[in-house]
Amino acid sequence: MRWLRERSKVQLAAVAAAVLLLLALLPPFIGVYQTQLLTYGLIAAIAALGFNLLLGYTGLLSFGHSAFFGIGAYTVAFLARDAGIHSMELYILLGLPISALLSALFGYISVRHTRIFFGILTLALSQVLYSLAYKLFWVTGGSDGLRVPRPTLLAGLVSFSGPGSFLRFVNSYYYYVLAVFAVCVVVMWVIVHSPFGKALQAIRDNEVRAAFLGLRISRFRWVAFLISGTFTSLAGILWVPLNGLTTPEILYWPFSGEIVFTALLGGFRNFSGPIVGGIVFTYLKTYAVATTEYWQLLLGVVLVMLILVLPTGIVGAVSRLADRLKAKGKS
Amino acid sequence: MDKPNTVDRRKFLSALGVTVGGVGVAGASLIAPQVVKAATEPAKGKIPDTPYKTGHMTFLTGPAAVLGDPSLKGHIMAAEEINAQGGLLGKRKIETITADEAAGTDANVKELRRMKLEGKIDLFTGVISSGNTPALGPVAEELSLLTMFVDGCTDFLFDVAVPNPKYTFRLTNIQSADGITAAIGAAQAWPQTRKIAHLHPDYSYGRNASEHFTLAIERLLPGTQVVSESWPKLGTTDFTSHITKILSSEPDLLFTSVWGGDYVAWYKQALRYGLFDKMKVATTLAFGVAPHALGKDHPEGVLAGVHSNYHFTYPGGDRWPINKSFVQRYFKRWNEYPNFQSEGSYVTLHMLKAAIERANKLMGGWPDDEMIIGQLEGMGFDTPSGYLYIRPDNHQGYKDAVTGFSKNNPEYPFPTWDQNRIITIPIRNITAPANWPKPGKGHNESTAAANWIKTTWPKSVG
Repeated sequence: MRWLRERSKVQLAAVAAAVLLLLALLPPFIGVYQTQLLTYGLIAAIAALGFNLLLGYTGLLSFGHSAFFGIGAYTVAFLARDAGIHSMELYILLGLPISALLSALFGYISVRHTRIFFGILTLALSQVLYSLAYKLFWVTGGSDGLRVPRPTLLAGLVSFSGPGSFLRFVNSYYYYVLAVFAVCVVVMWVIVHSPFGKALQAIRDNEVRAAFLGLRISRFRWVAFLISGTFTSLAGILWVPLNGLTTPEILYWPFSGEIVFTALLGGFRNFSGPIVGGIVFTYLKTYAVATTEYWQLLLGVVLVMLILVLPTGIVGAVSRLADRLKAKGKS
Repeated sequence: MDKPNTVDRRKFLSALGVTVGGVGVAGASLIAPQVVKAATEPAKGKIPDTPYKTGHMTFLTGPAAVLGDPSLKGHIMAAEEINAQGGLLGKRKIETITADEAAGTDANVKELRRMKLEGKIDLFTGVISSGNTPALGPVAEELSLLTMFVDGCTDFLFDVAVPNPKYTFRLTNIQSADGITAAIGAAQAWPQTRKIAHLHPDYSYGRNASEHFTLAIERLLPGTQVVSESWPKLGTTDFTSHITKILSSEPDLLFTSVWGGDYVAWYKQALRYGLFDKMKVATTLAFGVAPHALGKDHPEGVLAGVHSNYHFTYPGGDRWPINKSFVQRYFKRWNEYPNFQSEGSYVTLHMLKAAIERANKLMGGWPDDEMIIGQLEGMGFDTPSGYLYIRPDNHQGYKDAVTGFSKNNPEYPFPTWDQNRIITIPIRNITAPANWPKPGKGHNESTAAANWIKTTWPKSVG
């Protein structure tokens, strides 16, 4: 039995390594535009991965994750503008504790409730940040946002200026984000498969029973919220140098909705669902905007179809299909 | 106007070169236009016949589409005219792909990259919102993409975001001119004004209009005070709370830079409250929308701004044949009248055509972007609105500012300007000159223009 479990772990690691290798080999074949779009996709995947710790594993639907993405992005923008910092590593090192503090605070307030009350609380808190970013025009640039120049990577070893620097940046930054993404996936995998992760799932499945097992439910939810928020802000931190600017749009509630959409699209009952969802959603939105002026309608139709036809998302549907094929093959 | 002191208000206004009435053609121009002759002679050298791809980004949906739709129509009309002559240099037909600016600033940045890297566009143009050009300008520069913004005219673009532009140009008037033009119009028409209310969309355009209006009015009408400020979000269509706030502050004058569908919704709601009977109203963009977007219910006597750019009725009659012919052709093509965006995007492509032809005449063959840029820098151009000049130091288009007062003319199914009260101001008198220190270089004002007004304008008395 144990031997079997070990073997499936090795298989999983092999598959993950193959996917990582494939992603690493892609850029020369797909060109600079697709490379930067894929970078956006990986970043969205990190955000959704964090979000899904709450939705998929703890059973809490947050409608305010834009707050964490936004706080990561705005922290970087302030560090660049007011502290004159232009190092990606410093952005991450300074940005994560700030985001963790905010996640802890929002979590402390929100996890006292569940279901709709939890959703509304997270929504309300995130809209406080949105209003601040929007209304403090002289501090945050209001709806114009703040621009962030390209930072140096690897403690200043790789910097970007002069002609063609954008293309060099896109290529280097892709690998940078890919590395961070890989670390995030491993860390999240360890978290959800740890006793802590199992406890979260127990709380999700039956709160009363989990309480009788002696789990301090609100403490577990709080820690899950903290981790989830911090992951999503890491995505915000990575997103800003690629995008070149941050605006209050990423703090606004529709952006939280996009994160929820992402998780649904990929399938929130699977570990890899939000990853697939993040990448697919990035492409879906980009090409919807590019092909039709009714892009919002198109996204709406996709969402409705998703709920009606693919309630388990892309990954859920694919794995069910695979199971069916396997069963057919056996019989 | 040498040193900051006090002067008589009438003298001040005449020193600013303010002309009232419908007679002067586009005011006294500061430039000697290099008239571009029509390309009758064939292009020199070998010209490829591949299409010239342009990307036009504008508001195709939402409340701002009443400006976006005319912008695209002007672009298409110019492309059709050029293509009818065989294309650029008689060979390269103009192809256009479009993008909806309403997708939001972040999405617009991504879309610009897609247009260049995947759509392989040669020229990026359009763009209306001042919230977007400062985001898109740096992206165009990093992509080395020739870009001619039609609008999005915030000073911030060339003052701060792209202080040394290479690939980026912009055709419509600089934004600080909007607030200053409205202030001059209001001071000239209603010198008794003491209490002023402000209503502006809460983003860079509204902030810029408010700031420059106030700077100018403090000098033109010292002793005025701001009695209320409202900052609705761009795209707001319910103005009830803002209107009641304005009414309760009992101002003599309301200054507003609300534009597009927002303005249409606002004036209709303000009518219900009788706002226009209780105060004078000065705007920067009341007539910025497609003309037919306004109804005959629009009150008369409002200072109806056009972004200091263009209204199709001026210069009117036969005095400025380019305008007469442009309006006729536009009406024939689209069965409606143009607004300043139509004119701007129409002029953009014709200006590009002229630059390409000149570069071809000099060097032969298809000119590269550097040569086109060299021709655009410093180019003077005859346009339907008057003379347009692209200043080489900041790639910004300048033309004399114009505004007027709304009036119902039986000739049109919508309000137009009172032809006897059109105000024109030479642009050099209301904007910072070339190489005036930019923000962060010796001063911390929001724009070079703000610093220029503070240091050089006198205060008027009487």
